[in-house]
Formats: sequence, structure tokens, C-alpha cells
Amino acid sequence: MDADTRTKSNRKPIISVRDLYKIYRVGDNRVHALDGVSFDIYKGEFVAIVGASGSGKSTLLNMLAGLEPPTKGEISIAGKRIDRLSESQLVAFRRTNVGFIFQSYNLLSTMNAEENVAMPLMFRGVRRSERLAKARKLMKLVGVLDQAEHMPNQMSGGQQQRVGIARALVSDPRIIFADEPTGNLDSRTSMDVLRLMQRLVREEKQTLVMVTHDDSIASYADKRIRISDGKIISMEENDGER
Amino acid sequence: MKFTDLLDLSINNLKRRRLRTFLTVLGVVIGTASIVVMLSLGIGQSESNKEMIESYGSLTTITVYSNAMYGPQDGSTDPLYLTDDSIESFKHLRHVTGASPILRYTAIAKQGVYEAYLSLQGVSHEYMENIPLSEGRVPPEDAAELSIIYGNQAINDFQNSKTGEGYWSTGETPDVDLMDRTVFIIFDRDKYYSQGSTDADGNIIPSPKKYIVPTAGIVDGGETGYGNYSYGAYCDIELLKTKLKSIFKKGTIPGQPTNSKGKPLGYFVYDSAEVYVDDMDHVSEVQEAINSMGYQASSNMEWLEQSQDSMRMQQAVLGGIGAVSLFVAAIGIANTMMMSIYERTKEIGVMKVLGCDMDNIRDMFLIESGFIGLMGGLVGIVLSLTISKVINVLYLRSNAAMYAVSTGDISRIPMWLLLLALIFAVLVGMLAGLFPALRAMRLSPLTAIRNE
Repeated sequence: MDADTRTKSNRKPIISVRDLYKIYRVGDNRVHALDGVSFDIYKGEFVAIVGASGSGKSTLLNMLAGLEPPTKGEISIAGKRIDRLSESQLVAFRRTNVGFIFQSYNLLSTMNAEENVAMPLMFRGVRRSERLAKARKLMKLVGVLDQAEHMPNQMSGGQQQRVGIARALVSDPRIIFADEPTGNLDSRTSMDVLRLMQRLVREEKQTLVMVTHDDSIASYADKRIRISDGKIISMEENDGER
Repeated sequence: MKFTDLLDLSINNLKRRRLRTFLTVLGVVIGTASIVVMLSLGIGQSESNKEMIESYGSLTTITVYSNAMYGPQDGSTDPLYLTDDSIESFKHLRHVTGASPILRYTAIAKQGVYEAYLSLQGVSHEYMENIPLSEGRVPPEDAAELSIIYGNQAINDFQNSKTGEGYWSTGETPDVDLMDRTVFIIFDRDKYYSQGSTDADGNIIPSPKKYIVPTAGIVDGGETGYGNYSYGAYCDIELLKTKLKSIFKKGTIPGQPTNSKGKPLGYFVYDSAEVYVDDMDHVSEVQEAINSMGYQASSNMEWLEQSQDSMRMQQAVLGGIGAVSLFVAAIGIANTMMMSIYERTKEIGVMKVLGCDMDNIRDMFLIESGFIGLMGGLVGIVLSLTISKVINVLYLRSNAAMYAVSTGDISRIPMWLLLLALIFAVLVGMLAGLFPALRAMRLSPLTAIRNE
């Protein structure tokens, strides 16, 4: 057991979810994408939300990241209720608190790698020279500094995803969300990327929430929240063995 | 987000789709150029119209007539004549810088076998100084002797008294030299035509006295030129009055009204007067004041205003035709922006997920469409200046062949029109981009998560 998990019961959770519901209307039917979900996530944890397609795991992630509003329930992040924020408040919230890693990397094709990494800082109004310096620092951390001036279409999938990870880290967020981050990568590269994410959580004291359908990928996380038909069916923690 | 970064993003996006941007800009170029060229034709027309009217006489001069000279008088009240007193009262009106009377007198001019009705106008010294002369000079203010300035067309009024032929029947300029040969003026027309016959008392009427009146000058314009002064003959009003008084003594001067007993009035009644106004903008005001005093006032300004009114209508129609093409260009911009948003839906979603303000996204698209307007406007301005030049050169050529006179440019583009066109093009661009921009702003960030 490392220091973080040992003392966690004494600390406040960074993400706290209580009785979360999301109900979609499809024609005359109501579909319960999330059906009363409650859990806590603490700082420095690497959490995987695992479930089959249609289990509601992506919906959960979207609501945690403030991309869509819940039908009912509470989401507090760093003590702040985000289920009541307006859309523009959510944007501002994401800008300062959230980093996001996408399945298909989603780098802007008109910008080179370092500009892509620096983009969240541009939204904050940071000067170009300053934000590019920060971007290069993070690219070095994730091991793609040599790609700094390449355009996205000149990089491999693994390189693009590392650039995407650097972009998620650049604004020093409190939480990083990752949506099937290895979904478009081969198994070898997937392993590299997952190791990188583990390292970042441990060395950089980041909190990372990842969504995946694959148990073997989920096994890289400290904690797994298993979800099916909108309900949590189990929560498992690694005992420090990774 | 910094404005320079926004600008950077927008311009990069435009560069990404060069051909489409080019085509959209081309639409704005044509739209802007067609508005500017159409309006320039309207402006050219109205300005050359104004110049033409100005060439007929100053726009700040009001001509005043009195009805009393012509219309029937009921005799119950004194008719409202234009007299020295009324001239004085005009001078006291606001915005009036001066007023001078004009006394018309028809005399007969003779040189050798040629004679002419001379419509002599006694005018003030200032009036004469405004007449452009080709020969001679305006008589000095303190001149003691009457002298006449002839219009450049006055020579054509002379007829051969033996044959009765003149310029208007033969087309030949009479052999008259007003400048270098002596001209005789006969003031008493009645006596001239009845000379040799007997009056009521049976006395033979003697021929009237002929006066040698020197020629002071000839109005500029040559034999064919036509201007405001071309047909007149002008002399100093005070000297003319003195002359007429000395000729007719206590009798009635022809053309002057009499009182109810048929006796002369003892003072001069003028045919018309000119009132000078300090500024074009005050002309109609002064004109109204004079009209309300009971006189008939008219000015070129009035004419100008009327013609400008109808020109404004034409300009609106021309501008409207031009505006249609800019409107089509605006639809093109809106279409391009919509396409661009459909293509970039995912990108916009990513930006929103990463915390780009909604306002920034809207502004980014507005800058893009505004930039299309700006580029189109700039190139459109250059194009319209070129087209305007070509129109003017072509017009001048065809006109020079036809009339041998220059009437000025028919297409004129003032500076304000260029500036206005540019601002308008940018505004139209942004307006066309507004709806797409708002749509982009409201796109859901979830589009970024969706995987195709």
C-alpha cells in the first residue's frame, strides 16, 4: 500500500457522485442510461470505469467531465457542484480543472504537435511563447519531443495519443478523463500508453478516470468501477500489485 | 483567449480551404464592385448636373421678380413694385450678403445697315464684375459715361434693315463689329418707328436722337458658346437711369409703369433684382422670406433641389441593383460558413471539451466571415476603381466624337464611398456569418466523443 491509499479515508474525495440518473427518451420509451450511481474518487487515483457497450459507462464519463447534464443526482468535483452549472460555466470549469484524452486523439489537423499540446493554454489567454515552452516540457515528459513540429498526419497512432496525453496535462488539471484511450491502438502501443498513464498518476500525482470495455486494459488501473445496465455492479481495488 | 490567437485560427481555417475561400471572396468582390460602380454612376450624374446648373449662374443667387409689372392691377392698393426701397429691405434679411436691382430697357442698336433690338440690362457694378469677358474690360465703378458689355451672341441679333435678313434666316454672322466700329443706340423706340409721319397735331415727328455708346467688352464664349450672359447687353444701372432721365425729361420712360392718372411715378421700378445669399444651405430660407413679402423669387438652387430629388431616386434604384449582387454574395458567405461548420463539427466539439469559451467559438467564425467580407471589399474597391476608369475613358471618347465638349466623368467614386463600401462588405460578411457562428457556438461538445 502506498501513502496515498493508506490515508485516503481521512481525506475528502476529489470526485463525489450521489444517486446519479440519466434518462433518455427514445420515442415513447424511457431508457435509463444511468440508474442511481454513487461513488467517490480520491486524488492520485487511477480509476477505470469498465462495462460493455451500452452499459452507461460513456454517459457517466460525459457527466463527470461536464459534457452533458444529469437528469437527477449530484456530482461534486473538488467540492464544487457541477450538475447545476450552465453550459458556459461548464466550459470555464473544464478549462481550469479538466484534461481530456480522446479515443481518436482529436488533434487539430491544421496545427503541428506542439501547437496542439498548447491549445488549452491558448483558450486561457496564455502568451504563445510561454505556452509553447510549457508544451515542449510536457512533450518531453511523455516522450514525443522529437515530434514537436510534425503535423498530426505525419505521426503514428501511438505518437498522436502521446501528444493527446501531453495536451491533457498542459493546463495542470485536477482530473484527467480518458475515453477508451487505447481503442485505436495495437496491443503493444496500448501497453506503452497505459504504462505512461500509470507513471503520470504515480509521479505527477494526477488523478485519472478512464473508460474502457476491456478488462485487460482496466487491470492497469488502481480501482475498477464495473458498470452494467446503468448500475454499478462491483468496485475492485488493486492491492498495490501492478 | 487573445484576439491575435483568434485571428490566427480564423485565417488558418480560411487558408485550409483556399479554393472555396477564393470563390466566396469572388462573390463579395463582384457584389462590392457592382454597388460601388452603380452608385458612382449616380453620383457622377448628380454632380455633373450640379456643375451644369452652377455654370448657368451662381447657386447662391436668388432672382426676384415683381408681379406688378405684368399682371392687371385693380388700382385699390399700390402695386408691389420692385423699387430701391424693396432692394434695401432685401439687404436686411438674414443670410443676405447683398442685393442689386436690374433695370431692363429695350433700345435699338445700329451699325451701318444693320440694326437690332437691344435688350439692355442696367445692373450693378458687382454684377458686371462677375461676367466673364473675352475682350475689353468692365467699366470702372466711377465711370461717368455709359458703356455697354455685349453678350457673345448679341451680334447675331442684328438684321440688315434693307433686306430684313439676319443670322436666324441666313445662318451667316452679320457684318457687325461691336468692339472696333461705332455702335449707335436709339433709346426712343416710339419716335424711331413713327419718324416722318404726323402726330395728332399734324406736326411731322422728327427722327430721334442717336447716341454713340462705347462698347466696354464682349462676353467670353466665342461665336457659338452659350452661357448665362450670351444674349444680353449690360451696362451700369445708375448711368442708364441718368441717361433715360435726361432723354425723356418729365415724360414717361417706356416700360415704366404710371400711376392711376397716367403720370410717371417719379422713381424707377425695376424688372428684377438679384439677391446674394451667404451659403447654399440658406437659399431656400431666404427665398421663402422674399416670397412671403409678395415677390416672386426663384433660384438655380430650387432647380438643383428638384433635379437632385429625382436623381436620388435614380441613385437608389442603381444602388439597389448593385445591392442584389452583394446580397447573393452574402448568401454565398453563409453557405460557405455552414459547410465549414459541418466539416469542423468534431473540431469545434474538441475545442469545447478542452475549454474554449463559447463566445470565442462564435467570434472565430464571425472573424472568418468578416475577413471574407474584408478581402472581397478590398479587391472589390480596386476592381470598381478600374471599371470606373474604363467607363470614363470610353464615355469621354464617344462623347468627344459626338459633341466636342467635355461634360466630365460620368462615374465618380468619392473617398467616402470607398470607405463605406469596405465597411459595408465587412458588415455583410459578418451578418451572413452570424447565424452559422451562433450555430457553431451551440454545437454540443459530445460530438467530439463520438467515433465514426
